Amino acid sequence: MPESDARHLSFKLVYYGPAQSGKTTNLFRLHDQLAPELKGELMTMETKDDRTLFFDLLPLGFRAPSGLLIKFRLFTVPGQVAHDGTRKAVLSRADGVVFVADADRAQETNNGESFQSLAANCARVGLDFEHLPMVVQFNKCDLPNAVPEAEIRERWSAAPWPLVFAVALNGQGIESTFELLLRAVYRNFGEKLELLAQHGLDENAFVAGALGKAA
Amino acid sequence: MSLGFDREWQLDELLDEASREKIGPALRELLRGDFALTDGAGQALWGQPSADARREPLILELEAVGYLLSSTAPAAALSAARDLLLTLLRAQIRFKMASTLHLEAVAEDFESLKREHARLSESEARYKTLSAELESRVKKQVDQLEERQQMLYEAEKLASVGQLAAGMAHEINNPLGFVRSNLSTFEKYVGKFAEMKTASGPAAESWRVLDLDFILEDSIDLLHDSAKGMERIARIVADLKAFSNVDRASEEYADLNNCLHEAVRMLETQTPAGIGFHFDLLPLPAIVCLPGHINQLFFNILRNAVLAIKDAGRPGEVRISSEADDEGIHIRIHDTGVGMSQEQIEHAFEPFYTTRPVGAGVGLGLATARNVVQAHSGRISLDSQPDVGTTVTLFFPTPP
Ligand SMILES: Nc1nc2c(ncn2[C@@H]2O[C@H](COP(=O)(O)OP(=O)(O)OP(=O)(O)O)[C@@H](O)[C@H]2O)c(=O)[nH]1
Ligand SMILES: [Mg+2]
Repeated sequence: MPESDARHLSFKLVYYGPAQSGKTTNLFRLHDQLAPELKGELMTMETKDDRTLFFDLLPLGFRAPSGLLIKFRLFTVPGQVAHDGTRKAVLSRADGVVFVADADRAQETNNGESFQSLAANCARVGLDFEHLPMVVQFNKCDLPNAVPEAEIRERWSAAPWPLVFAVALNGQGIESTFELLLRAVYRNFGEKLELLAQHGLDENAFVAGALGKAA
Repeated sequence: MSLGFDREWQLDELLDEASREKIGPALRELLRGDFALTDGAGQALWGQPSADARREPLILELEAVGYLLSSTAPAAALSAARDLLLTLLRAQIRFKMASTLHLEAVAEDFESLKREHARLSESEARYKTLSAELESRVKKQVDQLEERQQMLYEAEKLASVGQLAAGMAHEINNPLGFVRSNLSTFEKYVGKFAEMKTASGPAAESWRVLDLDFILEDSIDLLHDSAKGMERIARIVADLKAFSNVDRASEEYADLNNCLHEAVRMLETQTPAGIGFHFDLLPLPAIVCLPGHINQLFFNILRNAVLAIKDAGRPGEVRISSEADDEGIHIRIHDTGVGMSQEQIEHAFEPFYTTRPVGAGVGLGLATARNVVQAHSGRISLDSQPDVGTTVTLFFPTPP
């Protein structure tokens, strides 16, 4: 459940995925592309050779018609296998997840293992994986040996999550990934939090506020 | 509010008392005398915020975690001081978040290790039980093999004894047959001779002189005695045949009471006067067994009983009792013979152990008995008191 008090509502959204799949790059692009009412600095924690050691954090926010301040705190986990403990800790209390897979054919096993670790870690930190708002993004579709979109769609056809094909390097698919996650989050929590009834926010207004676009 | 690394850190957490003491005087100097610091809610952390002071928000994420105030500093100086303070706070929050996250991760890793350890211990325990199980299964199979081998050995031994007995019985039966028929023919012939008794003349004289009256009478007696002897031989041969059981070498249903009777019959012929058998048998369920072996078993025990009484040099009795309960069949063979010492009891079941003089027995009696009992999954035990007597208790399980 998102953290909330009378004037604030804070969603924790986590970018999860194998090492080097482009999670940090996703946050950089969002920081560049989005223009919500409130946008904090992208805080990238210690890195070693460009690889996340702890997490990255991008805060975004806007005010609902009711005056409620809605905050989104976007985190990335470190993808390297060795940092599983950190990954679990960052994943705790997440309200939504973007799984950033690497479309590179050579990374298929890593994607699979990382996805399984996501399911397992959700269970460990008490998240209901089945009902967790989630979007699956295949990044690096620009690579010559990227698995073709049709093949990936075919493989994931039975899965309930929306698929996005992205090139984080040039920003392609990054905003739509985030938008799909926002919609899933709204559908999951909107009613419980009375976003429409109490705060005058329907799904489109919620998404528009977060992205910084007129509804 | 959770205390996770990802909580929204408050200004007083980021700037503790000690660091405020350090930066407070420096900032006051830079801001030309007046300076105050409040948290996000306006609560003073340093100095006294005056009503006419300029105010700069300290924003780390989206909202102000606190405010920097001064009534003396020019606007440019105040915002420069704010930037300085923010740089400090950013470094501080990074450190706080990273160290808190590190602690959470270490705790997580520790939990994982514990889980892994528990899993390993569990699988180790599983392997241990498995190996123990295997061990006991192997042992059971070895025991079973040994038992089978013992049975086979006994069966072969008894089969050869049985074959010998059967062969002998067959060989004896033939001459026995013609001797019996000859004897009865001979008796008829003697009858013919008797007719000469009523003859007259010199024959009558010779009859008298040779005392043929007596000879005739005695011949008849001798013939009857011989016929009786033949009967006895025939019965012994029949018993021997039944006992050796050549025709019953395989497992079959048998009533152990019958086996006891059969063994006693075998023994009775060689039992001296003054030794009696007393039966106290209750109805028994038939059990699957090797009757030939069982006969041999009872024979061995009963013969020991008879010999024990004989050794005591006084009349005595062998009491044979049997009964069945839910678990199986209980048989007791008690004699009032010499009894056994503790040492004798201890060695009684050892092969070739004997209390009899060399040549009187090979000492296989009780050893064989025990083998036969074990081959039938039964138990045998001895209870004895010197000069009072011995009781052998046997138990054969019946299938539930
Ligand atoms: N070709 C290509 N390269 C990309 C793309 N997105 C990211 N990269 C590169 O992939 C590398 C890793 O990107 P990051 O965003 O640091 O990956 P990460 O998932 O944060 O990695 P960790 O922090 O180690 O888990 C960088 O060199 C990026 O420039 C893409 O769409 N196409
Ligand atoms: Mg990263």
